[in-house]
Amino acid sequence: MDYLATKYLRPRKIPSTACSGCGLGQAHKKVVMAIDELGLATGDVIWGTGIGCAGRQTFNTWKGDNFAGTHGRAYAIATGLRIALPPDKKIIMTVGDGDAFGIGFLHLLNCARRNVDMTVIVLDNLGYQSTGGQYGWTTPRGYRTDSSPYGMYEPNWTQDGRDVLNILREAGATFLARYTSLQGQEAVEAIKKAILNKGFSLVHMPYPCVTNFAERALGTRKPVEIYKWFMEHTCSMHEKGPADFAFRTGIYYDASNSRPEFAELVKGWVADIQRRYS
Amino acid sequence: MRRTLDTGNAAITEGAILAGCSLFAGYPITPATEIAENMSRRLPQVGGYYVQAEDELTALHICIGGSLGGLKTMTATSGPGFILYADPLGWALGSEIPLVVVNAQRVGPVSGITGAPGQGEFYMSRYPTQGGNYETIVLAPNSVQEAFSITVEAFYLAERFRMPVIILADQLVTDGWESLSIPETPAELEAMRLKVIPRRVKEGPEFYPCTDAIDIPPVVLGHNTGAACSDWTPTPEGYDTEEVDFQHQHAYRLIYKVRNNKDLITRYESYFMDDNPELILVAYGSPSRVVVSAVKQAREKGWKVGALRLISLWPFPDEIFKVPAKYLSVELNYDGQLVREVQRAMPAGSEVHFFGKCGELPTVAELEELMQALLAGKGIKARNWEWEAW
Repeated sequence: MDYLATKYLRPRKIPSTACSGCGLGQAHKKVVMAIDELGLATGDVIWGTGIGCAGRQTFNTWKGDNFAGTHGRAYAIATGLRIALPPDKKIIMTVGDGDAFGIGFLHLLNCARRNVDMTVIVLDNLGYQSTGGQYGWTTPRGYRTDSSPYGMYEPNWTQDGRDVLNILREAGATFLARYTSLQGQEAVEAIKKAILNKGFSLVHMPYPCVTNFAERALGTRKPVEIYKWFMEHTCSMHEKGPADFAFRTGIYYDASNSRPEFAELVKGWVADIQRRYS
Repeated sequence: MRRTLDTGNAAITEGAILAGCSLFAGYPITPATEIAENMSRRLPQVGGYYVQAEDELTALHICIGGSLGGLKTMTATSGPGFILYADPLGWALGSEIPLVVVNAQRVGPVSGITGAPGQGEFYMSRYPTQGGNYETIVLAPNSVQEAFSITVEAFYLAERFRMPVIILADQLVTDGWESLSIPETPAELEAMRLKVIPRRVKEGPEFYPCTDAIDIPPVVLGHNTGAACSDWTPTPEGYDTEEVDFQHQHAYRLIYKVRNNKDLITRYESYFMDDNPELILVAYGSPSRVVVSAVKQAREKGWKVGALRLISLWPFPDEIFKVPAKYLSVELNYDGQLVREVQRAMPAGSEVHFFGKCGELPTVAELEELMQALLAGKGIKARNWEWEAW
């Protein structure tokens, strides 16, 4: 087993039960690498997850404390947890695209507005893959899924000039980045910055699903095909990328430690009231 | 002892603060808004936190997070918000999170009338979420003073049973003004037979064993115990599993920690039950106040009637329905909810009747007329509502 896994993860859960060829392990490893490179110990991090491939495969892999929230609402749980925990504890969450950008988007936006100190890693497999492969809120237009047999026709969060990161920035998030799981150290560096931001950080990390997405959208389960497809559609934040759609990657917004963090704000507010009225 | 005149909402606030609540998350809704308002004023004074959530789902999830981090937490709502608790309440029941949920019932159907009392969530408080395989603890105050003491009790039970406890009040109890005594010393607290226990922290990474035992400290994150909490079926170590044996263990724990310790929860008052009354009125919450008055007056007339006033609703106190008699359930709904449990629990040779009002209390005169008819062996005519089955 990998030295990082030995150091930080539970042997019972590693290797995970993800499909062979799945990109989730690459993404998971990047998060653990970032934690390691920051010199954090298992006791420094509380690891939260949602539901779906991303949530289920990463739940309770962390040797320290873990929780798996209800679908889409782990951010609301993390808000309460943030108030209760000492400020130096890190809350890191690995959640799916449906969890963050679908069912849980309201909660995500409000965490960004409040600037609650947490690092949300959105592990995006381009739809609902653990239920068999239905389209989601980042599925590129035109691609077939089990619930878009004639092609995905809905506008999504990452096309036609829209970017979900833009919405989160406007809402008040203080660190935002996007990297695919196929990218290297630059992605790890971004996750490190996300963790170091005392506020709401989100890293959007698309990763290849070889089993459901690749089979329907690309007509093959050969991992190399979807990996190639990912590479072809990856560009930097400043590039236009391929005509049909692109994973526009890089650090989208870094306003780390520029706004008051929510739990600190509420604690300071309470201390102030106690001073005023005691 | 601090003596004051205040609302049930204020009583619940003071009870929570006395019990050690330090995080309240809520969403405004009539007639529970004042609990949130009072909390926003009182909690900072005692070093606690008030969070106004973007919806009720968030409110209860924030409470879950706070409790997972070691704080005592509470949220409060009315029916239209209570339905949104279904998601987090399931999580809290399944993961065994101590917290307190208040529902100030207003009259339905659906959103109904905001400022009128109802009792429409009797069954919903028993089955507030998906999946079954759990018991709930539900307490129902009928006065401002009791709203206070029941809130303290709810926090106490939540910690001991490591689960959410629901306070099922109604609009008259939460909005009503009455005298309220708040204990200020441990001796005064004890004199009121109230107990407060601090949050304990479960040691070690393992989740709960397959047991009906209570008083196991709840899982608290942030102590690097390697604890894990989720809505999945847990193995004894806290891993998620699809194996049915572990589901059996999980369900056993959730059901039997409550059933096998029911005597710690069950609370009721009985009136004139010693001489095997012919007719027994059953009620909870604000209508029970009228029921008790009506039964006392009837006794003065020499009528052989009694009353059972339920304080704990779930687990349902089957064992207090010992006397074969005519039972009359008096409720603030037209569909008859409590009456169904009375019918199930009453001994052989009994018969059951129902009287419902909505948005207002029954009157003593109405109950007197009903009692007279039932004692005379006549059926009771439907009032305000065509009701034949009961």
